Amino acid sequence: MKVIARHIIMTIGLCILTLPLWSKVYTPTTIPMVHLEDRTRYTCNPDGILSSAAVSTMDSIFYALEQQTGIQTIVAVVGEIDPTDCFEFAHALFAAQGVGQQGKDNGLVVLLSTEERCIQFVIGYGLEGSLPDAICKRIQSKYMVHLLGDERWDEAMVAGSRALYNHLMGDPTLINEERQEADEDRQALIGFMVFMVAAILIFVVIVYIAIRKQSQCPKCKQHTLKRSGSMTIMRTNSLRRDQVTFTCTHCGHNVYRIEDHHLGGGGVGGGPIIGGGGRSFGGGSFGGSFGGGRSGGGGAGSRF
Amino acid sequence: MKQIKTAILTIAAALTLSSCNYNGMVEREEAVSQAWSNVENQYQRRADLIPNLVNTVKGYAAHEQETLTQVIEARSKATSINIDAENLTPETLKAYQKAQGEIGSALGRLIALGEAYPDLKANENFKELQAQLEGTENRIAVERRNFNDATRSYNTYLRKFPRNILSNIYGFDTKPYFEAEEGTHNAPKVEF
Repeated sequence: MKVIARHIIMTIGLCILTLPLWSKVYTPTTIPMVHLEDRTRYTCNPDGILSSAAVSTMDSIFYALEQQTGIQTIVAVVGEIDPTDCFEFAHALFAAQGVGQQGKDNGLVVLLSTEERCIQFVIGYGLEGSLPDAICKRIQSKYMVHLLGDERWDEAMVAGSRALYNHLMGDPTLINEERQEADEDRQALIGFMVFMVAAILIFVVIVYIAIRKQSQCPKCKQHTLKRSGSMTIMRTNSLRRDQVTFTCTHCGHNVYRIEDHHLGGGGVGGGPIIGGGGRSFGGGSFGGSFGGGRSGGGGAGSRF
Repeated sequence: MKQIKTAILTIAAALTLSSCNYNGMVEREEAVSQAWSNVENQYQRRADLIPNLVNTVKGYAAHEQETLTQVIEARSKATSINIDAENLTPETLKAYQKAQGEIGSALGRLIALGEAYPDLKANENFKELQAQLEGTENRIAVERRNFNDATRSYNTYLRKFPRNILSNIYGFDTKPYFEAEEGTHNAPKVEF
């Protein structure tokens, strides 16, 4: 009896010990496709490798991408994969799901396998022009590989997704970084200088006009008014009001002007701010679908 | 009398054609031609990368003349072999595959030079070309698979009864498949 009990305990113990070995190996058809359940979601994270915050950030990025460009994305973040070759797997996933619109073939698959230690982009025929291999590789090596090497999955995947989004939305940063930067700097400098010169000119003109106007005699229209005296006519705690006399040196005409001088003291500022409350309706989401795009195997992969 | 005979013959011909589905054979053969031209395009794309790659490597590893010449020779040899989809036979396809395989292994040696020359490895142009080359190899693999699928569909269609009897009369032949590359069976030897 005791022996049997010991055997049972040992078996259970062994099972618990080997549990991690049973963690799922995914094939291109067994990864659960979250997009098919909820059309606003794109990131398949069945092993929970990414945090939910990262997943929702990426979902919103790729949702925006699909709304604005029609490009459909599948992001798969898994541990072990079968076939173990990342490109094979990602391409098979692409073909199995038919990501992208039919005819446009604008699908995109991003695969991260933490066991094979690879990141792979596979693009549809329709994206060959806008997302060439070299750009895919650049995104990976610039934004992802160093983070993936440190197992900072969340940061790497979010950074990569942002870079993909920005590039596909027409941000030319990645196309020719160095030239771009130099050009931008020069353009910014020129723009700033033009702006400064224009601002100074306008300022000078305004001041000049104001001064000319002040010195103009209303009687003989000559710019010959000169200040000849002043007299305080009122004084409070915060204000001194002077009457200033200007005399025209041309015709001797006198002009009286009132000048106010504020004497320190603070003011009471700010009116009441009334904030408006809004109300929004959250809508339920329905499952999405993939259109049947095809891929010729474009894209790039990196190991880390 | 003659008119009736012609009418009967016409109907008979139409029936045979439709039962054997001549159009189906044409469609499938066209699919194979299309797949073949995609394969050739991708191989051409790889060949087009070579001059750039050779020039980049030359700047850093000029005395690896042998590797460089091998690539250029393999390229000129392979680009001289062009097969029409019409003339696809097991022999011609094998010759084509062999020539392309030589480019593949010569390119492998060229890329491996990156390991011996750190400056080359760090060169932006080289990295870019390497990424493009990888992408092209992937595309070749995909198009080869598509070609094999199209060919399989065509061959199966031809060999089914009753089309197998008439396909020869119409002049449709089965087409060869891409085989696994020679040399992929032998795993590379790693020496330390």
